[in-house]
Amino acid sequence: MIRFFHVSKFFDRCAALHDVTFRIDEGECVILSGPSGAGKTTLLRVIFGMEVPDDGQILVQNRNIARLHARDLPYLRRTIGFVPQNFQLLSQKTVYENVILPLIVQGVKRSEARRRVAATLQAVGIDHKQAIRAGVLSAGEQQRVCIARAIVTRPVIVLADEPTGNLDEELADEIIALFHTIHAQGTTVLLATHNQRVMAQMRGRVLQMRAGDVVSDKRMVT
Amino acid sequence: MRVWYLVRETLNNIRVHRGDVVIGIVTTAFALACFGVFLLLYLNLQHLAENLQSGIEVIAYLEPDASEQVVSEVHQRLRRDRAVVEVRVISKEQALRDFRRHFQRDALFLEEGNNPLPVSFVMKVRSPESVGEFVERVKRFSGVQHVQHSQEWLDKLAIVVSHFRLGAMVIGTILAVATATIIRNTVHLSLYTRREEIEILRLIGATGRFIAIPHVVEGAMLGAVGGGLSLVLLKVSFESVKSELLQAVQWFDGLERSLTFFPVPVSLLLVLAGMVLGCGSSLLSVRSLINVRS
Ligand SMILES: Nc1ncnc2c1ncn2[C@@H]1O[C@H](COP(=O)(O)OP(=O)(O)OP(=O)(O)O)[C@@H](O)[C@H]1O
Ligand SMILES: [Mg+2]
Repeated sequence: MIRFFHVSKFFDRCAALHDVTFRIDEGECVILSGPSGAGKTTLLRVIFGMEVPDDGQILVQNRNIARLHARDLPYLRRTIGFVPQNFQLLSQKTVYENVILPLIVQGVKRSEARRRVAATLQAVGIDHKQAIRAGVLSAGEQQRVCIARAIVTRPVIVLADEPTGNLDEELADEIIALFHTIHAQGTTVLLATHNQRVMAQMRGRVLQMRAGDVVSDKRMVT
Repeated sequence: MRVWYLVRETLNNIRVHRGDVVIGIVTTAFALACFGVFLLLYLNLQHLAENLQSGIEVIAYLEPDASEQVVSEVHQRLRRDRAVVEVRVISKEQALRDFRRHFQRDALFLEEGNNPLPVSFVMKVRSPESVGEFVERVKRFSGVQHVQHSQEWLDKLAIVVSHFRLGAMVIGTILAVATATIIRNTVHLSLYTRREEIEILRLIGATGRFIAIPHVVEGAMLGAVGGGLSLVLLKVSFESVKSELLQAVQWFDGLERSLTFFPVPVSLLLVLAGMVLGCGSSLLSVRSLINVRS
């Protein structure tokens, strides 16, 4: 599903990713952990084609991301749900409008799109706020909207960057439960976090990063 | 649903930075109107030149002492000439009468028995292009002393007209570039207004084309509305200039007929030109959006 071969990415000579090699198979749930500045966001961004690696090869669903023509990149992205660290919601638009946007982009029929948005909003538990502008929601609610937007298209991979970053423990637990459900439905999940509590709760594999290197790759026993 | 989204996005963009859009439209309108003024002058001068040429007259004066036989010979040759539509003979007596009527007192010394005025032929010529050639031919007829026609003046007018055409082209190019720049700037501003949305659209797999469409449509609309507005400006100023001219110049009957505004196809072309200009320049500014990673 996702393969890294000796991938490096430099920002002003400082390596955000340094000779990273790993593979994630279909249906896996992987936690990307590590201290702040370890390169977690950068790793997710190169998978999503937002950054081009300076060295090495990345295969995402058997497509070489670095060599992929910019014209084809959007179509690959449609199969990946991305939950960015900084939400990136349209604050002036409603929850409903934010979540339906990916379906509009993909040209899904209106009735089908409505149905899917309603189901997704319900799954993340924010359906009662669908007519409210995203900008006025609390951080936890915005986080849910972000997740809804990422999974409404039924992607095969979900990349989540610090989805519990600014939530209290209770809310974080709910979000983690949400990712468990997403994973249980067969989606491959890659979740970046430096929160020990989240790591303890997520079942599956943990990739530990430090200063651009993947320093350990462990399967958690539960 | 995509279409609706794009329409809504376009209108929303325009609404959000409507001040810039209005400025863009007005500047486009003025630029196109400037070009339109030149085009209008050119078209009207050309029209005027055509009107004058269709009424072209050639006058051949015979030698004053030409005999009856020479007169009728020349008359015959002129009548047979294919370039001539109509010939009118002005006899010596007629010439004297005309002369007297024009210059009543000064003409008193011309006496009946001592008429120095020549016989002349006034001709309407078929096509304006062949006038020069025809005049040269008639000059060589025996008995013909002098041929007068308005071609020289018309040639000068033709040169003026061609200068206007060149001027319209040069000014048109300069103004097109200026307009394109203005529209580009407006589109840049709308891209800036929408930058957040664009970033998110990229995140959810929108193609560059999908992201660019609202801006290209905006540019095209801006250009087309600017073109329409320039037409209104031109029409209003044309009518006021026309009525002033008609008041000032009462000696030329053909003036009203000669002054024309753009025919409908040319008007539509001006709007289309604005639209193409707007579309093209916004394409230039969104080019950076299409097929780019980020
Ligand atoms: N666009 C950029 N330009 C310059 N340096 C960058 C850029 N993006 C990331 N970096 C650097 O790369 C390193 C890794 O950053 P990254 O955002 O991947 O860390 P992270 O593990 O996600 O941290 P956090 O847990 O705080 O989100 C950092 O030192 C950062 O300063
Ligand atoms: Mg990060």
